[in-house]
Amino acid sequence: MEKGHPQRGISVYSYEVLLGKTMTLEDCFLEMYDTGATCFELLTSYIENYPNPTTKWVDNYWRLCEKYNLRPAELGHWCENHLHRGPALSDDEIVEQLKQDFRLANLLGFRSLRTKITCVNDLCDPEPGWQRYIEKALPWAEKYDVRMQNEVHGPTTLHTPHIRDEYLDFIRRTGTQHFGFNIDFGTFQTKAAKGLEWMDMGFDDPTLPEEIVEFLPYSWTCHAKFTNMTEDFEETTIPYREVIKQIVDHGWNGNLISEYEGPIRFTAESSPESFGRAMDEIPEQIRRHQIMMRNLLGY
Amino acid sequence: MVEYHSIQQRGFHNTYDEAGNINGFEFRFVPIYYKGYWFTQCRFGNVVVDGEVFDRDGLIFEYDGLEYSREELFDLNRYWQFREPLIIKARKPGGLSIGYHEVALQFGWVMNYNGGPELEADGSGLGNTIFPTDHKRRMLLCR
Repeated sequence: MEKGHPQRGISVYSYEVLLGKTMTLEDCFLEMYDTGATCFELLTSYIENYPNPTTKWVDNYWRLCEKYNLRPAELGHWCENHLHRGPALSDDEIVEQLKQDFRLANLLGFRSLRTKITCVNDLCDPEPGWQRYIEKALPWAEKYDVRMQNEVHGPTTLHTPHIRDEYLDFIRRTGTQHFGFNIDFGTFQTKAAKGLEWMDMGFDDPTLPEEIVEFLPYSWTCHAKFTNMTEDFEETTIPYREVIKQIVDHGWNGNLISEYEGPIRFTAESSPESFGRAMDEIPEQIRRHQIMMRNLLGY
Repeated sequence: MVEYHSIQQRGFHNTYDEAGNINGFEFRFVPIYYKGYWFTQCRFGNVVVDGEVFDRDGLIFEYDGLEYSREELFDLNRYWQFREPLIIKARKPGGLSIGYHEVALQFGWVMNYNGGPELEADGSGLGNTIFPTDHKRRMLLCR
């Protein structure tokens, strides 16, 4: 099999603690450019005046993409149905929300979506009935040329029952090319990150690197999650070398998006000193992670 | 750009009626969270200043130049933009004294993931967020 050539990217979410406080969107683009990343993930929340951005904002967005030579990879959005008091949204109301985000993704050049479906517990078991509205939305996803991806996020693993019993079953039953998985690399995490020892994410039974292979055909963009990068460019909790070897050896050409979720995001606002540390630490952690990915990928 | 705190000192001052009399105070609030919200999923608690409670149903919330009560926010199908301050106004004849004040606010929201469904689907609680709902800051009032 021909080796894969994943594209290195960064999620603007990684800078969220600083965004709008000490960094503009253009500052994020400049940071991303500095790392050699070629693509990025945006969240709908970072679109000014979402869900109705002005033409001026959209024009400036494309100016940033061009100036910093960054390609839109994934738009993170939400498929939430409990937004009001009382009953949940109807299927048709949810589909309207999805259509709105599909149109925006298309306008802004995104072909992947990270679609957060309503869940009912810590393990992210989806609320029963999700298949109805996602299936109704498929023709619209096709029209706007976007792929909804459920995020497999720790403590969910690729062997958590709903992954196969619900999501994979749905993909195979419908034969769709417009629904799949964003596999968040936190699912491979084997131990708690320094400073996040209190966070139990099922580290005793993580996804094994080889498990990803079966899911690669249904994945276009993955979150290269990280929580702690050392000065010599190693991630201390996730077996990156093994995971990247699997995806490259199996010919995956998707987007590999650095997503930083270090402990600083829980404490940054606790004191001026802590926020000051975040201002240095967050961009530096992301730079270290991009260097690690460059070292592993060879480009 | 906003301050790194959730409760903003920038915008903290007494308010005046048309006759020029102080009738209350206001401050701005920016959630500490990575995304924006639909106002319909937001849940507000009371404001407390130096121990004095200002009931949530007496508060006025100003967004994008328009004022709303807590009840009206439940039906406001608008997106609370990321990092966009919400102005919170409380009625207090004579206002707050010039000097330092400890200002607290409870704010929660209805999450659709990371936990179980909202327990108070009537909107009476602070939603089902797993993140802290208590916000507090000591601020200096000048006028």
